[in-house]
Amino acid sequence: MRVESAKKIYIFSPALRLWHWVNFLTIITLFATGLYIGSPFFQGPTGVEATYAYEEGITMGFIRKVHFMAGYILLASFIFRVLISLVSKRDRLVIPTFWRKDYWIGLKEITLKYLLFMRDDEGHEYIRNACARTVYPLVYLAILFMIVTGFGMYGMSNPEGFWASLFGWVVWFLGGEFPTHMWHHWIAWLIIIFAVLHVYFVVREEAIKKNGELSSMFNGYKFFKKEPIDMNDIK
Amino acid sequence: METFWETFKRHGVSRRDFLKFATTVTGMMGLAPSMVPTVVRAMETKPRVPVIWIHGLECTCCSESFIRSATPLASDVVLSMISLEYDDTLSAAAGEPLEEHRKRIIKEYWGNYILAVEGNPPLGEDGMYCIVGGKPFLENLKESAEGAKAVIAWGSCASWGCVQAAKPNPTTAVPVDKVITNKPIIKVPGCPPIAEVMTGVVMYMVLFDRIPPLDSQGRPKMFYGNRIHDTCYRRAFFNAGQFVERFDDDNAKKGWCLYKVGCRGPTTYNQCGSIRWYNGLSYPIQAGHGCIGCAEKDFWDNGPFYERLTNIPVPKQEASADKVGAVAAAAAVGGAVVHGVLSKVRNSGKKEE
Repeated sequence: MRVESAKKIYIFSPALRLWHWVNFLTIITLFATGLYIGSPFFQGPTGVEATYAYEEGITMGFIRKVHFMAGYILLASFIFRVLISLVSKRDRLVIPTFWRKDYWIGLKEITLKYLLFMRDDEGHEYIRNACARTVYPLVYLAILFMIVTGFGMYGMSNPEGFWASLFGWVVWFLGGEFPTHMWHHWIAWLIIIFAVLHVYFVVREEAIKKNGELSSMFNGYKFFKKEPIDMNDIK
Repeated sequence: METFWETFKRHGVSRRDFLKFATTVTGMMGLAPSMVPTVVRAMETKPRVPVIWIHGLECTCCSESFIRSATPLASDVVLSMISLEYDDTLSAAAGEPLEEHRKRIIKEYWGNYILAVEGNPPLGEDGMYCIVGGKPFLENLKESAEGAKAVIAWGSCASWGCVQAAKPNPTTAVPVDKVITNKPIIKVPGCPPIAEVMTGVVMYMVLFDRIPPLDSQGRPKMFYGNRIHDTCYRRAFFNAGQFVERFDDDNAKKGWCLYKVGCRGPTTYNQCGSIRWYNGLSYPIQAGHGCIGCAEKDFWDNGPFYERLTNIPVPKQEASADKVGAVAAAAAVGGAVVHGVLSKVRNSGKKEE
């Protein structure tokens, strides 16, 4: 067996890794509780007066409370994500660098690789592949959309309150509260479909290149056989 | 014109009853008790206001609701609080002279009368889908709005478009604010709006000589500030997770929450939960049927009424957002597995040097 030399490169800061896993947990929680709120499938405690049943175990009120708490955490982690990208250069990888040549080289190569026209060990190596560079900003936008619509609907319980004055407009922008509920559902599913593909492509990268892709979100390091063409992004 | 107090005196109403009336009216308008003296003062000094009430493309359910107002009685509003000069539905038998009267009122009280619009103008075929007094309603509306102090858009028709503007909207019916753009418009949506809300809006405008505080959608805040869900007496069942599954099940009999059978209470802004209907007798949810969201924009298109989520147009199927989402996510998983196997095969063996 041929011994290949590989370079260990530090990519993900501790703050970003922390954010990633907090985000993972809140999104899973939000999605599960959100689906339940949209279609509550088990019945509350029967034989208990509704006013007191609210306090008993897993009720609609409890699930909604979890959903709203997770929503607050998602908002906080989103703000945290924006802040760390302001102070640290390596946390700005999310910006799609479409004005640079290496972005377009990468996009072409990654597309060919994913369409199986090109082997994965051919072409260049990248710190952040161009497909991810394209899709991640859209996912951030989707999460922002969920935060805005979510807090918009949440806040309209008190139309003169803080959240309503901040995000209440979105409810009317989307044509009323009912369409807003629908959008909240559709975009939630888009995020989940992204998550499925995200996990798949990470596992695929790991299985084919064995470059530490999977563990990089825990320890921050990835292994490269060649110098990545977008190395300047994290220097 | 004479003031309210003068009118009341002429009808033999005692000072005590007058004050009681003013207090009730203050509450109905959503004002604090400290406002009672202001309301009394206004009733003693403000002259009655001429109102022109016109009807476009509509079903007259707003008028039907209005005449059932209990606090104050619609008859009180029509006969003593406002001076209803023109209403083509109520005075249809008067014929041609009534149209002349409308023109005279517009000229005589230019800039001082209130225009109440029930229904909406269809724009298609130059407005020929709705003819009033031999002329397209569109022309009537523009002519009457020209000299109005303010325009009240009664009901979902005038506010949003309602049923006749539902897809595909064959007559191109549009809400009043699409045609009248240079006047303050107060939207009072609902199909119909609650009677007490209608009289409350009229009284506010008459007594304070200004339009009520409006939200971003042009609706009076005091009546359209809350969701029905947030004021619903069945809310405790919602929080407790006790739902009606079918209209004929035991839970329905127990009066549990109608959320799962499509109630639009969580997405509808109106006062049904607090003021209720027919002098506070009941409202749809209390009667055992979910809210259909009639005060909301395009409620007719946001069907089906008995489902929580709208259907997405999938050929030959009925499918909700969650079903389509689940299928798409499953397809993504399947695609990933297939692609993964193919990728492994493609990348197997040694790289061709």
